[in-house]
Amino acid sequence: MTDRKPLYLMTPALAWLTAFMVVPCLLILALGFFRRGIYGGIEYTFTLENIALVFDPLYAGIFLKSAMIAGLSALIAVVIGYAAAYAIAAAPQRRQATLLFFAVLPFWSNYLVRTYAWIVMLNREGLIAGIAHGLGWGGELPKMLYTESAVVIGLVYNYLPFVILACYAPLSRLNPEIAEASRDLGASGWTTFRRVILPATVPGIATGFVFVFVLSIGNFVTPALLGGGQFQMIGNLIYAQFLTANDWPFGAALSIFLIAIMMGLLTLQTFATERASGARREE
Amino acid sequence: MTQPLLTIRGVEKRFGAVQAIDGIDLDIQENEFFALLGASGSGKTTLLRMLAGFELPDGGQIILDGKDVSRVPPNHRPVNLMFQSYALFPHMSVAQNIAYGLEMEKLPKAQIKSRVDEILEVIQLAHLAARKPDQLSGGQRQRVALARALVKRPRLLLLDEPLGALDKKLRGEMQLELKRIQHEFGITFIIVTHDQEEALVMADRVAILQDGKLLQCGTPHEIYEQPQSRFAADFIGVMNFIPVREEGGKLRAADGSIIAAAASLEPGQAGVAAVRPERLRIGGAAGENSLIGTVTATAYHGLDLQVHLKSPASPDPVLMRLTADAAEARPLKAGDSVTIHWTARDTRAFPV
Repeated sequence: MTDRKPLYLMTPALAWLTAFMVVPCLLILALGFFRRGIYGGIEYTFTLENIALVFDPLYAGIFLKSAMIAGLSALIAVVIGYAAAYAIAAAPQRRQATLLFFAVLPFWSNYLVRTYAWIVMLNREGLIAGIAHGLGWGGELPKMLYTESAVVIGLVYNYLPFVILACYAPLSRLNPEIAEASRDLGASGWTTFRRVILPATVPGIATGFVFVFVLSIGNFVTPALLGGGQFQMIGNLIYAQFLTANDWPFGAALSIFLIAIMMGLLTLQTFATERASGARREE
Repeated sequence: MTQPLLTIRGVEKRFGAVQAIDGIDLDIQENEFFALLGASGSGKTTLLRMLAGFELPDGGQIILDGKDVSRVPPNHRPVNLMFQSYALFPHMSVAQNIAYGLEMEKLPKAQIKSRVDEILEVIQLAHLAARKPDQLSGGQRQRVALARALVKRPRLLLLDEPLGALDKKLRGEMQLELKRIQHEFGITFIIVTHDQEEALVMADRVAILQDGKLLQCGTPHEIYEQPQSRFAADFIGVMNFIPVREEGGKLRAADGSIIAAAASLEPGQAGVAAVRPERLRIGGAAGENSLIGTVTATAYHGLDLQVHLKSPASPDPVLMRLTADAAEARPLKAGDSVTIHWTARDTRAFPV
């Protein structure tokens, strides 16, 4: 009986995931292979047109653009987040929990509110412009809001706590004597970081990067609000297919590719983490 | 004597309100196997970390090869430390771990390889060179940590509780192995340990630390046979303490029996007479250094028989260790009444 216990305990979660995750995904998958009706409905005849259309340079370009923005955001978030996590892990033990709490604090406020706050900051008459003028800057400020940079800033800001948490875990677990051993063997502080600390914490970096990338590439709120419709990311494109263009089959085909990219990356990342920790478990 | 390899002169270290090291002076000779022995909190690890360069002394000097190195950072000292946790780099193979320190010296690749191969032979792990640390047993990891420090051929090799994580049998083997390696390489070893047996077995000289002070320093034989303080006598091995008072050049126990010791107390002073259990003999006539007791328990240890005696001379039970021969010559059981004696030469006296 005890052997069965895990199964019983997992049933609610499995049922939930099946009903609201697996089934909708299968529906999307099926939808991608049907024809669009003349007035926006769905014609239940098999076609590969939607899938082929995804590879149209126009749409493939949007995919590429989204990947670049997501990649850039993930990169910046990892650099900033790793540094923060390093500082937190190096702080006195009793202060680490408080510092982590502050690092994660923005998470407890609404995503939309946080994104709107950036509009207030980046606006032509916004906080940053105000401060610049207050300091005596007379000239024209470069356009900040409704640019790609604004989108990247928004994405980095929103997902930074993920990276801090992901990098903090391996950094705090790292035996401090390992860094000392490196110094003892003749390495400078920088060499110690580059050759010992950084490689030993790669799983955390990979997790953080993939998280930000996956969450960013499908994001449509931030590009809509901070990008101001100047350009589309793949999330916006899908959103438009379902809600304005009324082309559900094409929207579904785009979604299939997006999901495939995300799943591929998450699988890679899981595999990498497993490999890193799997060896440790052999003991 | 020639100039010592290492001179520790008046070294002090304070952590907040705690005086971790309180003015220690020590000379350590080239090629010596030296042990810093103490309980936790005695300051032995702090002293070792100062020698490695991870802690800066608040006062005093650390002189290595005639140069004051107290302020030299760890990566610029010809000193290597084998960490208690071994601190192997988890993402590097055994060979990479060992090569790391040589790469820092920017040696040619071929030379690094030959030295790594050579030391892998010494620690008998050549067949595991490609393994990662987490694929090794505790004993193997310990040897990799030793090799990684040793391969740099330091002037001074520091070992922080090197055998602490090993099981008892392996520890015994490694004690001899460490001595062999130290002899073979001719490198000065300083080992930190809380295990007095380990210190006695391995070291040429032992320093006992207590509360950041150096209590006594000497060969294992001196430390064991001629303890200079009650703490040292109690800390090393097993010791019987009999409360006494000095009376007219003699020591008198509670029941009036007279004890003669190698060194006496001040006139009228209260103290303890200390004698090792293995120095007690059965028999002898009543007189100096003799007492009558009742056997309360016996414990057979194979090599010896441990006998607990209750005596009017001492509030604590007196412990006696009889060799197998002595025990067979005179079988003892609980309730037996016996007279025991010992020599003045084997007796110390300490004030309380």
